[in-house]
Amino acid sequence: MDKTMAMPLYLIKKRRIKRFYLMITLFFVIIQLLWVGIPIFMAIMWSLVNPDDAWSYPNLIPPSFSLEQWRYVFNYTNIARALKTSYSIAPLAVILSFLLSLPTSYVLGRKDIPGKKVFMLVVLLPMIMPGMVVALFLSRVFNLMGLSQTFLGLVLAHTLMSMPYMIRVMTTSFASIPQDVIDAAENLGAGTFVKIKDIFLPMIRPGLIAGMIFAFTTSIEEFNLTFIIGTPTFETIPTILYSFMGYNFIRTNASVVSLLMMTPNIIMLFIVERFLKSDYLSASLGKM
Amino acid sequence: MKKILVVLLVLVMASTMVFAAGAKEAPKAEIDLQSASWDQIVEAAKAEGQVTFYAWYFPDYFKEAAADFEAKYGIKVNLIIGDQTANFNKAISEKDSKVGTIDVMIVGGQWVKNTMDLDLFYGPIKDIIPDADKLAPSLWKVQEGVMTNGYLAPFHRNQTGILYDPQRVSNPPQTWAELEAWIDANPKKFGFNDPSKGGSGQSFVHTMIKETTGGLEKYVGDSEVVPSKVANWDKAWDWAYSRKDKLTFTVSNNDSIIRLNDGEIAMTFGWDDNVKDMMNKGNLFSRAKMYIPTMGAAGGGDTMGVLKNSPHKAAALVFIAHITSKEQQQKKYEMLGAYPARTDIALSGTLLTEADREANALAWFPAPYKTLMIAEFVKNVLMK
Repeated sequence: MDKTMAMPLYLIKKRRIKRFYLMITLFFVIIQLLWVGIPIFMAIMWSLVNPDDAWSYPNLIPPSFSLEQWRYVFNYTNIARALKTSYSIAPLAVILSFLLSLPTSYVLGRKDIPGKKVFMLVVLLPMIMPGMVVALFLSRVFNLMGLSQTFLGLVLAHTLMSMPYMIRVMTTSFASIPQDVIDAAENLGAGTFVKIKDIFLPMIRPGLIAGMIFAFTTSIEEFNLTFIIGTPTFETIPTILYSFMGYNFIRTNASVVSLLMMTPNIIMLFIVERFLKSDYLSASLGKM
Repeated sequence: MKKILVVLLVLVMASTMVFAAGAKEAPKAEIDLQSASWDQIVEAAKAEGQVTFYAWYFPDYFKEAAADFEAKYGIKVNLIIGDQTANFNKAISEKDSKVGTIDVMIVGGQWVKNTMDLDLFYGPIKDIIPDADKLAPSLWKVQEGVMTNGYLAPFHRNQTGILYDPQRVSNPPQTWAELEAWIDANPKKFGFNDPSKGGSGQSFVHTMIKETTGGLEKYVGDSEVVPSKVANWDKAWDWAYSRKDKLTFTVSNNDSIIRLNDGEIAMTFGWDDNVKDMMNKGNLFSRAKMYIPTMGAAGGGDTMGVLKNSPHKAAALVFIAHITSKEQQQKKYEMLGAYPARTDIALSGTLLTEADREANALAWFPAPYKTLMIAEFVKNVLMK
């Protein structure tokens, strides 16, 4: 006897709905994989093109593979120096933007101050204005302050470009902390330090980590300001990438530099993902 | 917590201090470069000890040329391969500084007018560089229609022409009528870049104006646009606009080559040096052919200029002399197949033949016409 015949109608419906959701999920997972995967796959393919055997229409994959494009980038660009500089600046810019954003975000997230909305908009300005416009104006300020061509200047420049992300995300985190948790802590005698350590920091942790990811990737990808105030003394990965991506776009070399820039970021995202799993805020609200 | 914050702050500040390395003010050349002998300039260059050079292409050649320069003169080269627009934005942003950070940079056709108008370069340098008379004489005077008057040293010549896939184009056009017929018979298979984004597209529009409005001779010697001479340019815009659905517009010189390689188009206008570079790197199939059609295509070259606020002017001049030396020009040609600026080098195996160049290469009309051409094409064809 057919089992489904004996099955009640509501169960058959439930099974169909379940199957439908499964199909939809599968569809989006595949789309997502293609969306992210195809560009990465193409970058890998282009980075392995043999210069003596061009990859052209109608070949779907390169006719032969070679590491020559990688050798070219390492031999003929300052990529090693750029990697070192980029990964020296980014962590410092993240720490500095965290320290500078913390009080700002606290005030914006938890206090009612006049002109709060205007201030929020001003904070976002570096994100809204075109990068080269910000760079050209700021370079004058950096020149006047003697910060051009210095490592300190670059850290400050990257901090400035990272801060809007950090402030925005952390402000939302601060705003979401329930007042009754703070009141309860105060009733139990918690001082400012205890409140920061045991309530604010754990509860804003997901936001803080998200802000740090934004700040880190912004720093790693920052081109305009770095090029204007940093080169020739300092070169970062994007300053090399842009030589192959801009006017003189060369897919093979650009792919190599893109992969070099992308790989550490992806590894970092996976590491950070682990921290995001413990969510104090959700726990405090009983939603974990 | 307070302790952690203090420690973090101290760490950040300490590490930035450790890394901080201000741009050191270079010793100024104390000699008058215009009247000094070449030996004195070389001595001054060695005393300066370094030179910063900005380019945006050929990192392989320039890296080797820089190493040769360091070995020969003991002068350190800070080679920055940036992006063309970013390089000029940087140079312009530093224009008002007494001492800049760039000593010498490549000047391409796209930016020559702006930079000359902004009076960015030191010069004239033609009488300082040894062997200046061996470098393309016309390029010392005019670069893509802009009078440069000996301020910018030619180091590289290039030429536009028709680039095509011989598997898909059996009988490539030579005249305007043939090209027109080919485009009509093969819609969307001919492409050229937006002229505001690269010289090969400009060259195509330049030839289009020549062919549809009665030649280029009438513009020779004009220092500003004569309205009566451009009154019939609407014929050119009408030609392009009426074929807008049959033409493919690309976004850069290299984009045209990429689309040819990808099979989207079968024929385009391109620069010979770009084409060779893309072939060398496996970005364009080696079967691609290039020629200058009998209707003509513009050519030119790139130059190098010493920035007015360069901290190492003598070293910059010696670097230009090094790049334009016979040995280096030969090396550049052998590495890249790109045409040298020197006229005393015998060449073989070039993408375009010398006979092609002599018979069909066009000189650009003066810069004001070129500026107008770009603006009007965008307005009357692309934006319409």
